[in-house]
Amino acid sequence: MKTNFEKKYLKWNFIFIGLLMTLFFTLIITITIGSVGPIGSGNPERIPMQAVWDILIGKSRLWPDSYKTIIMDIRLPRILLAALAGCALAVSGVVMQGIFRNPMADPFIIGLSSGAAVGASISILLGLSISIGIYSTPFLAFVGAGLTIFGVYFIARSRGKVRAETLLLTGIAIGSFLTAVTSFLMYVANEQFRFLFFWLLGGLYKASWNTVAIAFSLILLGVVIIQFFARDLNAMVLGEEPAMHLGIDTKSMKKILLIFSSLVTGTAVAFTGIIGFVGLITPHIMRILVGPNHRILLPASALTGAILLIWSDTIARTILSPTEIPVGIITAFCGAPFFVYLLQKSKKGKR
Amino acid sequence: MKKRKGITRLAAIAMACILILAAFIVISYITQFKESGRQTGFTVIDDYERAITVPKNPQRIISLAPGCTEIIFAVGLGTKVVGVDDYSNYPEAAKNITKIGSYLSPNLEVMVLSEPDLILASDMTSKEYITSLEEKNLTVFILAPKAIQGIIRDIRLVGIIGNKTKEADNLINSLEQRINVIASKTKSNTLYTPRVYLEYYPYWAYGPGSFGNDLISMAGGKNIAATAASAYSEVASEFIVSSNPELIIFTIGPYVSTTTKDIKSRTGWDRISAVRNNKIYAIYDDIISRPGPRIVDALEQLAKMIHPELFPSK
Repeated sequence: MKTNFEKKYLKWNFIFIGLLMTLFFTLIITITIGSVGPIGSGNPERIPMQAVWDILIGKSRLWPDSYKTIIMDIRLPRILLAALAGCALAVSGVVMQGIFRNPMADPFIIGLSSGAAVGASISILLGLSISIGIYSTPFLAFVGAGLTIFGVYFIARSRGKVRAETLLLTGIAIGSFLTAVTSFLMYVANEQFRFLFFWLLGGLYKASWNTVAIAFSLILLGVVIIQFFARDLNAMVLGEEPAMHLGIDTKSMKKILLIFSSLVTGTAVAFTGIIGFVGLITPHIMRILVGPNHRILLPASALTGAILLIWSDTIARTILSPTEIPVGIITAFCGAPFFVYLLQKSKKGKR
Repeated sequence: MKKRKGITRLAAIAMACILILAAFIVISYITQFKESGRQTGFTVIDDYERAITVPKNPQRIISLAPGCTEIIFAVGLGTKVVGVDDYSNYPEAAKNITKIGSYLSPNLEVMVLSEPDLILASDMTSKEYITSLEEKNLTVFILAPKAIQGIIRDIRLVGIIGNKTKEADNLINSLEQRINVIASKTKSNTLYTPRVYLEYYPYWAYGPGSFGNDLISMAGGKNIAATAASAYSEVASEFIVSSNPELIIFTIGPYVSTTTKDIKSRTGWDRISAVRNNKIYAIYDDIISRPGPRIVDALEQLAKMIHPELFPSK
């Protein structure tokens, strides 16, 4: 029994360190990929590999200022924001699928994205980003997401209890309602229409050190706290009643997990718009690869989400270079077939 | 119970660590951006009514919209352009310039590498995006004219900024002259103004506040969509039929492939006066939708369609 247990830990460590190294190499490789090179179309000019290296180790004086701006102020923050957003979406995907015990659940299922979209549309329509400041759109998106989550939670609550199924259905209903509000606003929007549409498609082009700093602190906070509830999530998989019998206060646990997963998703949505699919499929992929125990599933999904979104965004910003395409197209285009492949493989394995 | 306490303590420690880390990041960020270069030049008010310090005689210009590109070339600054958006296809020389992506999300890396000293953008690029360009110490000047007079003003501004005032003045004179030829004949109070339906996409019409709407009234017509909800508005087929336009004008371009046959075959449209009298015309989308000098071409073409008796084709 004990050796089995130790074996499991060893395996977990192995997985975790492996993913950490993959993330590290992903960072190193993708920092060299872009429209202006070193790896990429290199039009109008190609940054040499040596320049990237020199800039990374702090010897940027040897190269034109524009190289340093591109690598350090454009590309690096964008990659880091992709990592953070991917991590946030994947972790809240795991949480949503865990507490709703529903494989279809993702961070957006309980109306979060629709709430964020309404907040963003209001900001874009009223032109708040000029009159108040550029962070008014992400801020209102965040407020919209938060209000929606709490609205859904209190509507779904009956006689002091919140059943996961009711929560899910309420979320879907409120979500559709808010989507209708956004669509209506888009019609009224007139000239601002295309910005809103573009915002809704999602993209990481808004990355800067500013956004990375805010996203980093909020998302890391949420992810670390969620990790402490890994055991509780394991119990939740058995069902709400059994979890209660195991001595878990499922009501407050659900509340805390909802708050922190909306914190991380809201932060990600605020800066990147709505990026679908990462939150839905990353948990499934990792469940197939590392098993259903949330103590490893959560960190493994966090790292994998980061890796997936970095690569998706790298493809999105280079495939039609110099034109950038919305990253959501790539996440769905590559994610879906890979997911189906894994699903087929795991089915065959069980037979 | 004991385990719970352990978790709480761990959470508290983790939170403290994160807060310290966050504070560190914020501080390093603030100190990082202290240095920012000030440039010499003069201050001009752009179409967002912002005072922008533009360089004297810019040598490396990037245009983020087809309309901006056309103005830059028209005043003779074409040789100074180092980058244009994907849709800038006029004049011919603009096609060979480095493309920097769509105006919605131009490629930051390519733009920075081109080291522009002036970026001209329209209101099609989002304000958030423009702010992120300015954070990289780039100068962005917005050309977002609301009417033909606005286009004239923008041509003059670009001429002043690029030290091409004479070229700009010549262009403006000739444009105003051409506009006056039309206006002198269509401004008359006794002129009959036929009802016009102008669509830029099937069932989408230019509404109030759009260039198309202005052009129709300047050319002596009455836009049936002048009371629509927005400048670019979807209109119901029954509204168009009941408005009974005497002319139907549709645009053609890379994204629209409407034909006269399509218009005639729309259900119920055989009752429309324009269809019965075969007064269905096509106009090139680029000249009517872009705020550039070619808008006057569009005005002349519309005037000829709406009032062939006043402007006989040579």
